[in-house]
Amino acid sequence: MRRVAVIGVGVTKFGKHERSSAELFAEAAREAVLDAGIEPKAVQALYYGNVTGGESERQLHMGPQAATLLGLPTIPTTRFENACATTHAAFRHAVMEVGSGVSDVVVVGGAERILHVPTEHATEYFAYCSDATFEQPTGLTFPGVFALIARAHMEKYGTTEEQMAHVAVKNHRHGVHNPKAQFRKEITTDMVLKSAYVADPLKLFDCCPFTDGGAAVILASEEVARRHRLPVWVLASEAATDTMFMHEKRDLARVTATERAAAAAYRRAGRGPQDVDVVELHDCFTIAEIVATEGLGLFEPGMGGPAAEKGWTSIGGTIPVNPSGGLKAKGHPIGATGAAQVAEIVTQLRGEAGPRQVAGARTGLAHTLGGNTATVLVSLFGRD
Amino acid sequence: MVNLKDFFTEVRAGRLTGIRCTQCGELAIPPKEFCGACGKRAWESVALAGEGTIASYTVIRVAPRGHVGQTPYAVAVVRLTEGVSLLGRITDLPLESLRVGLPVRFRPLVSGGETLVGFGPA
Repeated sequence: MRRVAVIGVGVTKFGKHERSSAELFAEAAREAVLDAGIEPKAVQALYYGNVTGGESERQLHMGPQAATLLGLPTIPTTRFENACATTHAAFRHAVMEVGSGVSDVVVVGGAERILHVPTEHATEYFAYCSDATFEQPTGLTFPGVFALIARAHMEKYGTTEEQMAHVAVKNHRHGVHNPKAQFRKEITTDMVLKSAYVADPLKLFDCCPFTDGGAAVILASEEVARRHRLPVWVLASEAATDTMFMHEKRDLARVTATERAAAAAYRRAGRGPQDVDVVELHDCFTIAEIVATEGLGLFEPGMGGPAAEKGWTSIGGTIPVNPSGGLKAKGHPIGATGAAQVAEIVTQLRGEAGPRQVAGARTGLAHTLGGNTATVLVSLFGRD
Repeated sequence: MVNLKDFFTEVRAGRLTGIRCTQCGELAIPPKEFCGACGKRAWESVALAGEGTIASYTVIRVAPRGHVGQTPYAVAVVRLTEGVSLLGRITDLPLESLRVGLPVRFRPLVSGGETLVGFGPA
């Protein structure tokens, strides 16, 4: 494999939009192309991510639509769908296209538009990412999936609802400094603990919001990247899968796909969790951040809750997690999230994150989880 | 082999069916083609007693379209005595009585053409 770098990033404002997902993607991709300082015509392929377009926008065959709006209607393109890990999965495949020598410059990104449909429709479309034969018929929702994990984690390790609340408070505090974030407002543990239950033990403020938005990054070969002012190298991009059935998870308090994807990424990059300076991880629910920090090896199993409570994952803490505000405050347009996480890590490693900058960050990690913990992507990034 | 249709036909009749690999002994919930443990395709069907304990549960208060009128309702992962687990809707149990480790028993939940795995009092 050749070395591959990220040379451009672009993210739309996250929140509610009146534009199609393809338009949102095109805005983010244009920003990424300009950031990369390349001619648009230098882009040789588009790896595109979207999840609910068939239901929410009556639109399939989205790759060509996105490429057309971007002004590159003839480049090869494919739409990826791996639940919430969609665009990180697309990213991994794009890294392989550049790394293998097939292309020198590739754009990878995605978008989602969901806020224009009623909540119960959005909840249903997202639930399509869980199993249709055993799980959807019971009325299990995504908050429900993570509530099952939360309950198991509380039972096994003594994790508390208050510790989970600290994750939400921290990510909102970080999000204040992200101009692209959906929520830029601090909250308190009291507000989290007093919010209404969505799926016990998870409450409204334990959950990330529904979000419209787009994100894109430009990947380049080493030869092209050397001309860029600040290339950020992809040290590893690994994927792991776990059984699609909640009833087959051996231990509901763990996400084994995170553990396996992280181990593979650390091995390929020749790094370990102790080398990571900044992390963007998949906090679709507060418990998801706690379990992810354990699965990534940042903390011992059972220590994710105490770590959140003690502030170890805050900017300025021992290992800052989700300086962007995470999915919780930045928002979670599921077809854009993976690319938005990569964009944040690249911005952090360039030292251009402004008031949310993690001082001296040179190695970063992005973690994205898809569906009922069946898909996980972990990528590692570094500076020269 | 036990396919999904067979599994839920049996559920409707009040019976839970597992499959056991005759090569390595792995017990699973259908449907499966190849054994995840040994890779063979040599299943036999096994009657499951339908008894188990709650491994985890949640009470859903914000439902997807199609379940909106049913809230609040509980969904649980139940560890069956044979060693496999199954996800199901809790029925005939007060929501506040639910806890990890609570013994429950399988019962079919049939409404119209739809058949669900349910778990109620042991």
